[in-house]
Amino acid sequence: MRRTLSLFKQIQGTSIRLGWLTLTALISAAAPAQVPPPPPPVTVAAIPPTTAQRGTQTIVNLNFRVPPGYHINSNTPKSEFLIPTALKMDLPTDIVLGKIDYPAGEELTFPFSPDEKLSVYAGDFTVALSVHPLESVVPGKYLMRGVLRYQACDNAACYPPRTLPVSLEVKVVKGPGTHKANPAQSPHVHN
Amino acid sequence: MNRNPLALVVVAFVIALGIYVGYHKARRPSSAFASHLTQSSVAPDFSLESLDGKTMRLSDLRGKAVLLNFWATWCGPCKIEMPWFVELQNQYGPQGFQIVGVAMDDASKEDIGKFAKDMGVNYPILIGKESIGDEYGGVPGLPESFLIGRDGKIVDKIVGLHGKAEIEDAVKKALNTHPASSQASAYRQEIVPARR
Repeated sequence: MRRTLSLFKQIQGTSIRLGWLTLTALISAAAPAQVPPPPPPVTVAAIPPTTAQRGTQTIVNLNFRVPPGYHINSNTPKSEFLIPTALKMDLPTDIVLGKIDYPAGEELTFPFSPDEKLSVYAGDFTVALSVHPLESVVPGKYLMRGVLRYQACDNAACYPPRTLPVSLEVKVVKGPGTHKANPAQSPHVHN
Repeated sequence: MNRNPLALVVVAFVIALGIYVGYHKARRPSSAFASHLTQSSVAPDFSLESLDGKTMRLSDLRGKAVLLNFWATWCGPCKIEMPWFVELQNQYGPQGFQIVGVAMDDASKEDIGKFAKDMGVNYPILIGKESIGDEYGGVPGLPESFLIGRDGKIVDKIVGLHGKAEIEDAVKKALNTHPASSQASAYRQEIVPARR
Protein backbone atom coordinates (compact mmCIF):
# COMPACT_ATOMS: atom_id res chain seq x y z
CA MET A 1 0.00 0.00 0.00
CA ARG A 2 2.81 2.35 0.98
CA ARG A 3 4.61 1.46 -2.23
CA THR A 4 1.50 2.21 -4.31
CA LEU A 5 1.11 5.56 -2.56
CA SER A 6 4.75 6.42 -3.22
CA LEU A 7 4.38 5.50 -6.89
CA PHE A 8 1.23 7.64 -7.09
CA LYS A 9 3.07 10.63 -5.58
CA GLN A 10 5.95 10.14 -7.98
CA ILE A 11 3.63 10.08 -11.00
CA GLN A 12 1.77 13.11 -9.68
CA GLY A 13 5.02 15.04 -9.19
CA THR A 14 6.24 14.11 -12.65
CA SER A 15 2.92 15.23 -14.16
CA ILE A 16 3.16 18.66 -12.50
CA ARG A 17 6.74 19.12 -13.70
CA LEU A 18 5.72 17.97 -17.17
CA GLY A 19 2.88 20.46 -17.18
CA TRP A 20 5.21 23.34 -16.31
CA LEU A 21 7.75 22.24 -18.87
CA THR A 22 5.12 21.97 -21.59
CA LEU A 23 3.75 25.40 -20.71
CA THR A 24 7.23 26.97 -20.70
CA ALA A 25 8.18 25.37 -24.00
CA LEU A 26 4.94 26.40 -25.68
CA ILE A 27 5.12 29.98 -24.38
CA SER A 28 8.68 30.38 -25.62
CA ALA A 29 7.72 28.94 -29.00
CA ALA A 30 4.65 31.14 -29.31
CA ALA A 31 6.40 34.38 -28.27
CA PRO A 32 6.66 36.82 -31.19
CA ALA A 33 10.05 36.76 -32.83
CA GLN A 34 11.86 40.07 -32.55
CA VAL A 35 13.59 42.00 -35.28
CA PRO A 36 17.14 40.67 -35.59
CA PRO A 37 19.56 42.80 -33.61
CA PRO A 38 22.16 44.92 -35.37
CA PRO A 39 25.48 43.20 -35.97
CA PRO A 40 28.15 43.20 -33.29
CA PRO A 41 30.55 46.07 -33.91
CA VAL A 42 33.99 45.96 -35.45
CA THR A 43 36.58 45.95 -32.69
CA VAL A 44 40.11 47.27 -32.39
CA ALA A 45 42.86 45.42 -30.54
CA ALA A 46 44.57 47.20 -27.65
CA ILE A 47 47.19 49.54 -29.02
CA PRO A 48 50.41 49.57 -26.99
CA PRO A 49 51.95 53.00 -26.33
CA THR A 50 54.16 54.05 -29.21
CA THR A 51 57.43 55.89 -28.94
CA ALA A 52 58.08 58.37 -31.73
CA GLN A 53 61.19 60.45 -32.22
CA ARG A 54 60.85 64.08 -33.06
CA GLY A 55 61.50 64.78 -36.70
CA THR A 56 61.04 61.18 -37.78
CA GLN A 57 58.14 59.13 -39.04
CA THR A 58 56.82 56.27 -36.94
CA ILE A 59 54.33 53.65 -38.07
CA VAL A 60 51.56 52.54 -35.73
CA ASN A 61 49.59 49.44 -36.68
CA LEU A 62 45.93 49.40 -35.76
CA ASN A 63 44.49 45.89 -35.78
CA PHE A 64 40.76 45.64 -36.41
CA ARG A 65 38.46 42.65 -36.34
CA VAL A 66 35.20 42.26 -38.26
CA PRO A 67 32.82 39.88 -36.49
CA PRO A 68 32.34 36.46 -38.11
CA GLY A 69 29.59 36.35 -40.72
CA TYR A 70 29.93 40.03 -41.60
CA HIS A 71 32.08 42.09 -43.93
CA ILE A 72 32.73 45.78 -44.40
CA ASN A 73 33.71 47.66 -47.53
CA SER A 74 37.42 48.16 -48.06
CA ASN A 75 38.88 51.65 -48.27
CA THR A 76 38.46 51.46 -52.04
CA PRO A 77 35.08 49.86 -52.74
CA LYS A 78 34.15 49.27 -56.34
CA SER A 79 31.14 51.52 -56.47
CA GLU A 80 30.82 55.21 -55.78
CA PHE A 81 27.70 54.46 -53.74
CA LEU A 82 29.38 52.09 -51.29
CA ILE A 83 30.74 53.59 -48.10
CA PRO A 84 34.51 53.10 -47.77
CA THR A 85 36.09 52.12 -44.48
CA ALA A 86 38.06 55.16 -43.40
CA LEU A 87 40.07 56.23 -40.39
CA LYS A 88 39.88 59.86 -39.36
CA MET A 89 42.26 61.07 -36.68
CA ASP A 90 42.23 64.23 -34.59
CA LEU A 91 45.80 65.10 -33.94
CA PRO A 92 47.50 67.17 -31.28
CA THR A 93 49.18 70.29 -32.59
CA ASP A 94 52.63 69.75 -34.09
CA ILE A 95 52.13 66.04 -34.70
CA VAL A 96 51.66 65.46 -38.36
CA LEU A 97 49.77 62.51 -39.70
CA GLY A 98 51.49 60.86 -42.62
CA LYS A 99 49.87 58.45 -44.99
CA ILE A 100 47.21 56.10 -43.65
CA ASP A 101 47.93 52.77 -45.29
CA TYR A 102 44.86 50.61 -45.77
CA PRO A 103 45.16 46.98 -46.82
CA ALA A 104 43.79 45.93 -50.18
CA GLY A 105 40.29 44.53 -49.88
CA GLU A 106 39.48 40.89 -50.47
CA GLU A 107 37.69 40.47 -53.76
CA LEU A 108 34.66 38.39 -52.85
CA THR A 109 31.28 37.59 -54.29
CA PHE A 110 28.20 37.26 -52.12
CA PRO A 111 24.79 35.66 -52.58
CA PHE A 112 23.37 39.15 -53.12
CA SER A 113 26.02 39.95 -55.71
CA PRO A 114 26.94 36.71 -57.49
CA ASP A 115 28.16 38.36 -60.68
CA GLU A 116 30.05 41.23 -59.16
CA LYS A 117 33.09 40.99 -56.92
CA LEU A 118 33.16 43.40 -54.02
CA SER A 119 36.26 44.73 -52.32
CA VAL A 120 35.78 44.04 -48.62
CA TYR A 121 37.46 43.43 -45.29
CA ALA A 122 36.41 40.33 -43.39
CA GLY A 123 38.02 38.90 -40.27
CA ASP A 124 41.17 40.73 -39.19
CA PHE A 125 42.73 43.63 -41.02
CA THR A 126 45.42 46.17 -40.17
CA VAL A 127 45.57 49.87 -40.91
CA ALA A 128 49.02 51.42 -40.69
CA LEU A 129 49.12 54.94 -39.40
CA SER A 130 52.21 57.07 -39.81
CA VAL A 131 52.82 59.74 -37.20
CA HIS A 132 55.46 62.41 -37.53
CA PRO A 133 56.14 64.66 -34.53
CA LEU A 134 57.68 67.91 -35.64
CA GLU A 135 60.99 69.10 -34.21
CA SER A 136 59.10 71.73 -32.25
CA VAL A 137 57.04 69.24 -30.25
CA VAL A 138 57.76 69.23 -26.54
CA PRO A 139 58.75 65.68 -25.60
CA GLY A 140 56.12 63.89 -23.58
CA LYS A 141 53.03 61.70 -23.88
CA TYR A 142 50.29 62.62 -26.31
CA LEU A 143 46.89 61.03 -26.74
CA MET A 144 45.65 60.77 -30.29
CA ARG A 145 41.99 60.11 -30.93
CA GLY A 146 40.07 59.21 -34.03
CA VAL A 147 37.26 57.14 -35.46
CA LEU A 148 37.01 54.31 -37.93
CA ARG A 149 33.90 54.73 -40.04
CA TYR A 150 32.58 51.57 -41.66
CA GLN A 151 29.44 50.03 -43.00
CA ALA A 152 28.78 46.33 -42.45
CA CYS A 153 26.75 43.74 -44.30
CA ASP A 154 26.10 40.05 -43.92
CA ASN A 155 25.04 37.73 -46.72
CA ALA A 156 21.50 39.11 -46.91
CA ALA A 157 21.33 42.56 -45.38
CA CYS A 158 23.33 45.72 -44.83
CA TYR A 159 23.44 47.86 -41.73
CA PRO A 160 23.77 51.62 -41.35
CA PRO A 161 27.26 53.13 -41.14
CA ARG A 162 28.86 53.11 -37.71
CA THR A 163 31.93 54.62 -36.13
CA LEU A 164 34.46 52.97 -33.86
CA PRO A 165 36.44 55.28 -31.56
CA VAL A 166 40.19 54.72 -31.66
CA SER A 167 42.78 56.22 -29.35
CA LEU A 168 46.47 55.72 -29.03
CA GLU A 169 49.23 57.08 -26.86
CA VAL A 170 52.35 58.41 -28.49
CA LYS A 171 55.41 59.18 -26.43
CA VAL A 172 57.43 61.80 -28.23
CA VAL A 173 61.16 61.71 -27.52
CA LYS A 174 64.03 63.76 -28.79
CA GLY A 175 65.50 62.38 -31.97
CA PRO A 176 69.14 61.57 -32.55
CA GLY A 177 71.03 64.59 -33.68
CA THR A 178 68.40 66.97 -32.51
CA HIS A 179 70.14 67.43 -29.21
CA LYS A 180 72.47 70.36 -29.72
CA ALA A 181 74.27 70.84 -26.47
CA ASN A 182 75.12 74.40 -25.75
CA PRO A 183 76.07 74.52 -22.10
CA ALA A 184 76.63 78.21 -22.24
CA GLN A 185 73.01 78.87 -23.15
CA SER A 186 71.27 75.88 -21.68
CA PRO A 187 73.02 74.38 -18.73
CA HIS A 188 70.09 72.19 -17.73
CA VAL A 189 68.21 69.81 -19.91
CA HIS A 190 64.52 69.43 -19.19
CA ASN A 191 62.46 66.56 -20.42
CA MET B 1 15.55 9.14 -7.22
CA ASN B 2 13.72 6.88 -9.60
CA ARG B 3 12.68 8.42 -12.89
CA ASN B 4 9.89 7.18 -15.04
CA PRO B 5 11.54 6.53 -18.45
CA LEU B 6 8.31 7.36 -20.26
CA ALA B 7 8.11 10.74 -18.51
CA LEU B 8 11.69 11.54 -19.52
CA VAL B 9 10.91 10.69 -23.14
CA VAL B 10 7.85 12.94 -23.07
CA VAL B 11 9.86 15.80 -21.50
CA ALA B 12 12.57 15.45 -24.13
CA PHE B 13 9.93 15.43 -26.89
CA VAL B 14 8.24 18.58 -25.57
CA ILE B 15 11.55 20.45 -25.28
CA ALA B 16 12.59 19.35 -28.77
CA LEU B 17 9.20 20.46 -30.14
CA GLY B 18 9.54 23.85 -28.46
CA ILE B 19 13.04 24.37 -29.86
CA TYR B 20 11.92 23.28 -33.35
CA VAL B 21 8.88 25.55 -33.44
CA GLY B 22 10.79 28.49 -31.94
CA TYR B 23 13.66 28.09 -34.39
CA HIS B 24 11.36 28.05 -37.41
CA LYS B 25 9.35 30.99 -36.14
CA ALA B 26 12.54 32.99 -35.69
CA ARG B 27 13.80 32.09 -39.15
CA ARG B 28 10.60 33.03 -40.91
CA PRO B 29 11.04 36.65 -41.96
CA SER B 30 7.34 37.45 -42.13
CA SER B 31 6.92 36.87 -38.42
CA ALA B 32 9.88 38.98 -37.38
CA PHE B 33 7.83 42.04 -36.52
CA ALA B 34 8.84 44.62 -34.01
CA SER B 35 7.03 44.24 -30.72
CA HIS B 36 4.67 47.15 -31.41
CA LEU B 37 4.11 46.38 -35.08
CA THR B 38 2.46 43.03 -35.62
CA GLN B 39 1.04 41.33 -38.63
CA SER B 40 -2.39 42.87 -39.35
CA SER B 41 -1.34 46.11 -37.61
CA VAL B 42 -2.45 49.17 -39.51
CA ALA B 43 0.56 50.54 -41.37
CA PRO B 44 1.69 53.82 -39.80
CA ASP B 45 0.92 56.69 -42.13
CA PHE B 46 3.62 59.16 -43.11
CA SER B 47 4.24 62.08 -45.36
CA LEU B 48 7.56 62.20 -47.21
CA GLU B 49 9.11 64.10 -50.06
CA SER B 50 9.65 62.23 -53.28
CA LEU B 51 12.58 62.62 -55.65
CA ASP B 52 10.54 64.91 -57.88
CA GLY B 53 9.89 67.25 -54.97
CA LYS B 54 6.27 66.27 -54.37
CA THR B 55 4.94 65.22 -50.99
CA MET B 56 3.45 61.76 -50.79
CA ARG B 57 1.39 60.21 -48.01
CA LEU B 58 1.03 56.49 -47.60
CA SER B 59 -2.69 57.05 -47.16
CA ASP B 60 -2.76 58.48 -50.71
CA LEU B 61 -2.54 54.87 -51.84
CA ARG B 62 -5.80 53.88 -50.20
CA GLY B 63 -7.37 50.82 -51.78
CA LYS B 64 -4.10 49.63 -53.32
CA ALA B 65 -1.81 46.84 -52.24
CA VAL B 66 1.53 48.41 -51.35
CA LEU B 67 5.08 47.15 -51.05
CA LEU B 68 6.91 49.62 -48.86
CA ASN B 69 10.62 49.06 -49.38
CA PHE B 70 13.24 50.60 -47.07
CA TRP B 71 16.58 50.72 -48.87
CA ALA B 72 19.79 52.72 -49.27
CA THR B 73 22.27 53.41 -52.04
CA TRP B 74 25.04 51.76 -49.97
CA CYS B 75 23.07 48.53 -49.62
CA GLY B 76 24.18 45.81 -52.05
CA PRO B 77 21.25 43.44 -51.41
CA CYS B 78 18.81 46.32 -52.03
CA LYS B 79 20.32 46.73 -55.47
CA ILE B 80 19.54 43.11 -56.31
CA GLU B 81 15.86 43.53 -55.44
CA MET B 82 15.29 46.64 -57.51
CA PRO B 83 15.04 44.98 -60.94
CA TRP B 84 12.58 42.48 -59.39
CA PHE B 85 10.52 45.35 -58.07
CA VAL B 86 10.49 46.96 -61.52
CA GLU B 87 9.15 43.70 -62.96
CA LEU B 88 6.60 43.25 -60.17
CA GLN B 89 5.39 46.83 -60.61
CA ASN B 90 4.90 46.23 -64.33
CA GLN B 91 3.19 42.89 -63.77
CA TYR B 92 0.88 43.69 -60.87
CA GLY B 93 0.50 47.45 -61.17
CA PRO B 94 -2.64 47.14 -63.33
CA GLN B 95 -4.24 45.05 -60.53
CA GLY B 96 -3.86 47.88 -58.05
CA PHE B 97 -0.35 47.24 -56.76
CA GLN B 98 2.11 49.99 -55.94
CA ILE B 99 5.72 49.80 -54.82
CA VAL B 100 7.07 52.71 -52.80
CA GLY B 101 10.78 52.97 -52.05
CA VAL B 102 11.98 54.84 -48.98
CA ALA B 103 15.67 55.76 -49.17
CA MET B 104 17.22 55.60 -45.69
CA ASP B 105 20.31 57.32 -46.91
CA ASP B 106 22.71 60.11 -46.06
CA ALA B 107 23.37 60.61 -49.75
CA SER B 108 22.05 63.71 -51.47
CA LYS B 109 18.72 63.70 -53.23
CA GLU B 110 20.62 64.04 -56.51
CA ASP B 111 22.74 60.96 -55.79
CA ILE B 112 19.70 58.94 -54.78
CA GLY B 113 17.98 60.08 -57.96
CA LYS B 114 20.98 59.11 -60.07
CA PHE B 115 21.10 55.68 -58.43
CA ALA B 116 17.38 55.11 -58.98
CA LYS B 117 17.63 56.23 -62.60
CA ASP B 118 20.59 53.91 -63.23
CA MET B 119 18.53 51.05 -61.79
CA GLY B 120 15.58 51.89 -64.04
CA VAL B 121 13.23 52.30 -61.08
CA ASN B 122 9.62 52.77 -62.22
CA TYR B 123 8.03 53.48 -58.82
CA PRO B 124 8.21 56.49 -56.50
CA ILE B 125 11.25 56.92 -54.30
CA LEU B 126 10.78 58.93 -51.12
CA ILE B 127 13.49 60.52 -49.02
CA GLY B 128 13.32 58.65 -45.72
CA LYS B 129 13.56 59.97 -42.19
CA GLU B 130 14.75 58.13 -39.13
CA SER B 131 11.44 58.81 -37.37
CA ILE B 132 9.57 56.95 -40.12
CA GLY B 133 11.99 54.04 -39.80
CA ASP B 134 11.32 54.01 -36.06
CA GLU B 135 7.60 53.83 -36.76
CA TYR B 136 8.29 50.65 -38.72
CA GLY B 137 10.34 48.98 -36.00
CA GLY B 138 13.63 50.84 -36.40
CA VAL B 139 14.59 49.20 -39.71
CA PRO B 140 17.88 47.92 -38.28
CA GLY B 141 19.00 46.24 -41.49
CA LEU B 142 18.30 46.83 -45.17
CA PRO B 143 16.52 45.89 -47.31
CA GLU B 144 13.32 45.63 -45.35
CA SER B 145 9.92 45.54 -47.00
CA PHE B 146 6.39 45.72 -45.65
CA LEU B 147 3.50 44.36 -47.65
CA ILE B 148 0.40 46.40 -46.97
CA GLY B 149 -3.05 45.19 -47.95
CA ARG B 150 -5.74 47.23 -49.65
CA ASP B 151 -7.22 47.73 -46.19
CA GLY B 152 -4.06 49.51 -45.01
CA LYS B 153 -3.00 46.64 -42.78
CA ILE B 154 0.41 45.03 -42.83
CA VAL B 155 0.10 41.51 -44.23
CA ASP B 156 3.77 40.53 -44.39
CA LYS B 157 7.27 41.72 -43.78
CA ILE B 158 10.47 40.65 -45.50
CA VAL B 159 13.78 41.35 -43.76
CA GLY B 160 16.96 41.09 -45.80
CA LEU B 161 17.35 39.68 -49.27
CA HIS B 162 15.02 36.86 -50.19
CA GLY B 163 14.08 35.32 -53.51
CA LYS B 164 11.83 37.03 -56.01
CA ALA B 165 9.31 34.19 -55.71
CA GLU B 166 8.94 34.82 -51.98
CA ILE B 167 8.40 38.53 -52.57
CA GLU B 168 5.88 37.77 -55.31
CA ASP B 169 3.92 35.46 -52.98
CA ALA B 170 3.72 38.29 -50.47
CA VAL B 171 2.58 40.70 -53.19
CA LYS B 172 -0.24 38.30 -54.12
CA LYS B 173 -1.19 38.07 -50.47
CA ALA B 174 -1.46 41.86 -50.28
CA LEU B 175 -3.48 41.97 -53.50
CA ASN B 176 -5.93 39.42 -52.12
CA THR B 177 -7.08 41.77 -49.40
CA HIS B 178 -10.19 43.91 -49.55
CA PRO B 179 -10.39 47.67 -49.11
CA ALA B 180 -11.61 48.86 -45.74
CA SER B 181 -15.03 50.50 -45.73
CA SER B 182 -13.48 53.83 -44.85
CA GLN B 183 -10.07 53.87 -46.44
CA ALA B 184 -8.94 57.15 -44.99
CA SER B 185 -9.30 55.78 -41.51
CA ALA B 186 -7.43 52.61 -42.38
CA TYR B 187 -4.05 54.27 -42.06
CA ARG B 188 -2.84 55.20 -38.64
CA GLN B 189 -2.50 58.95 -38.81
CA GLU B 190 -0.96 59.55 -35.47
CA ILE B 191 2.78 59.20 -35.23
CA VAL B 192 3.52 57.55 -31.94
CA PRO B 193 7.00 57.48 -30.43
CA ALA B 194 8.72 54.21 -31.16
CA ARG B 195 9.40 51.95 -28.23
CA ARG B 196 12.92 50.67 -28.43
